Amino acid sequence: MSRVVVIRLSPPGSVENLDHEQYRIFLESGLKNLTGIEDAKMALQKLIPSGTVGMKTNCLARKFNSTPIPLTAAMADFLKESGIDENNVIIWERTNRELEMAGFKLNASSFERRCLGTDTNGVGYSADFYISGDVNSLVSRILTEMVDHNINMPVLKDHSIAGLSAGLKNLYGTINNPNKWHGNNCDPYAAQVAALEPIRKKNRLTIIDAIKVQYNGGPGYDSRYIELYNGLIISDDPIAADRIGLEIIEYLRKKNNLPSLAKAQRPVKYLATAEKIGLGIADIAKIDLKVMMVDNQGRQKPGSLTDG
Amino acid sequence: MDRRFFLRCLGCGAVATTVLQSDLLPGILGGIQNALAFDYAKNLSSVEARYYKKLEGGGIECGICPRHCHVTDLERGYCGTRENHQDIYKTLVYGLPCSINIDPIEKKPLFHFYPGTNAFSLATAGCNVNCKFCQNWDISQSRPEQTDNINLPPEAIPAICIENKAPTIAYTYSEPTIFYEYMYDIASQGKKKGIKSAMITGGYIEKEPLQNLLPLMDAIKVDLKGIREDYYKNIVNGELKPVLDALVQIKKSGVWLEIVYLVVPTLNDSDAEFGELAKWIKTNLGSEVPLHFSKFYPQYLLKNLPPTPQKTLETAHEICKAEGLEFVYLGNLPGHPAESTYCPQCGKMLIERRGYKIYQNNIKANLCSNCNRYIPGFF
Repeated sequence: MSRVVVIRLSPPGSVENLDHEQYRIFLESGLKNLTGIEDAKMALQKLIPSGTVGMKTNCLARKFNSTPIPLTAAMADFLKESGIDENNVIIWERTNRELEMAGFKLNASSFERRCLGTDTNGVGYSADFYISGDVNSLVSRILTEMVDHNINMPVLKDHSIAGLSAGLKNLYGTINNPNKWHGNNCDPYAAQVAALEPIRKKNRLTIIDAIKVQYNGGPGYDSRYIELYNGLIISDDPIAADRIGLEIIEYLRKKNNLPSLAKAQRPVKYLATAEKIGLGIADIAKIDLKVMMVDNQGRQKPGSLTDG
Repeated sequence: MDRRFFLRCLGCGAVATTVLQSDLLPGILGGIQNALAFDYAKNLSSVEARYYKKLEGGGIECGICPRHCHVTDLERGYCGTRENHQDIYKTLVYGLPCSINIDPIEKKPLFHFYPGTNAFSLATAGCNVNCKFCQNWDISQSRPEQTDNINLPPEAIPAICIENKAPTIAYTYSEPTIFYEYMYDIASQGKKKGIKSAMITGGYIEKEPLQNLLPLMDAIKVDLKGIREDYYKNIVNGELKPVLDALVQIKKSGVWLEIVYLVVPTLNDSDAEFGELAKWIKTNLGSEVPLHFSKFYPQYLLKNLPPTPQKTLETAHEICKAEGLEFVYLGNLPGHPAESTYCPQCGKMLIERRGYKIYQNNIKANLCSNCNRYIPGFF
């Protein structure tokens, strides 16, 4: 069994953007419920004991629907409080341009938390290829050399080819040639990218932002198909986290009278492939799902993935 | 790895990290070297691509190559060089080569196209296939933001050619189909100044863009990478049929055509394949189209294979000659007799080559100097 925690704002659908404090509450609840440890900092220490930590964002949809800055800030604060030096935290994406367009302030210095793209002068990609099945790619040096652990922080979206853009799809932003791996609804490629050695080895935690969910028309931003789901998906199993993300996308599509992803010619096949190659659990029956509704005061009660 | 510098050292053919420093350029790019030396591109281009259509419900379908990528907002096609900006498809590499060089035309290789002359050669990042043997994977499999590019607008290129006594512009190294708009506009500018254009391509291009490009091209060399679909599927990540169609289309157009077949040990090197190749060329293109068999060196994703044995190349040569092809060459074998051109009628050596150098040329007005047999090409 793999555990996935979904934290939702109570009442859901009420806000477009969470602030730093709200994300802090969400993360605290998520980390506690994921690990069963009552102290969130200790929970985080269990997952990431020491070293340099990357937070891989997803900034494709620019300021409209990228990994929220307050979410990364709240997570960075938790890391600091759990003993990780501030400068050993790297918020990152494939290019500086994408980070800036999403509103992040770049910082490649040795002071405070860093924020940089793989295209930063002196960073770049690995010298050698990593190979997994059909996939051959250079991997960002941020992942291969600069961090010891990675927290994958995507945004939950529909994807015009893959069907689902969440954790695994966000990992395409860690390699030099993502455009080569979109055939056949990204199957088996999304699984194989996630299986590339440095990615598989260093990915500790997946935190999927599902505050504003692009349930159709993704992965870019299309305001016609946005739902304020007000959720955050947290798991140390990248496949199970995505599987729950898929449930949410399908739920929102149905709620908005859209066909399932399979009927829309973009079945999400790569999660089953990922389970087959041992990356995690895609079978919903084997996922221990815990949904918590949290209000602004941090009060919690059990909830549901759906609003019904 | 640090940010890569792919601008190639003029004349040396090696990747050079400081090639655009002015001290490496004098005498090669004439008076414009300083402008080039300091004009790195800071941004990608945002020029509307040609050959795409908007899809109902959003997104576009690219029509430049047989992949027909469907691309939604802010996403790119397989080549990595074309991006959808709110359903306007943009080329990101227009005017932004990452590799420039003055090469002997023999290096392309084009053996029947002004032998002994130079070609101003250029490429941008990106490719529409992913050959496991690619020699230039560091640019062809990169996205343009991963290479260092210079600003080199089409109108600047004829002057560079004239300064450097290069009568031809070669679109090469990666896959020019993916920088089609740039190539098209350079070729148009070149034509105005009497500079010829040669496309060095995998031939994986759609019919309409190819048809519209042909009047601007003087020569095309197609890398026919194999003669079987499964090879294209497994090793090239493309399709054979559209390439064969493109070959026929080019031949019919009258644009000078030569073919290269890279012989990869155990993967496309059987006698049967050489026979099929020769028969297909003879039947569909004619026996006069030059065919170059090229020696493979372990590269990229096929480092596990040995270099092609000379014997295999010689067997390929024999089989194709026996099938009736008139101009069959062996490449990457400097000093081999099959680098030279012989009269198909009397057997006289007409052009003696060693490596990229020409030692004698006995073709006068397209005729063999010994027996007057017509020799196709431009000499």
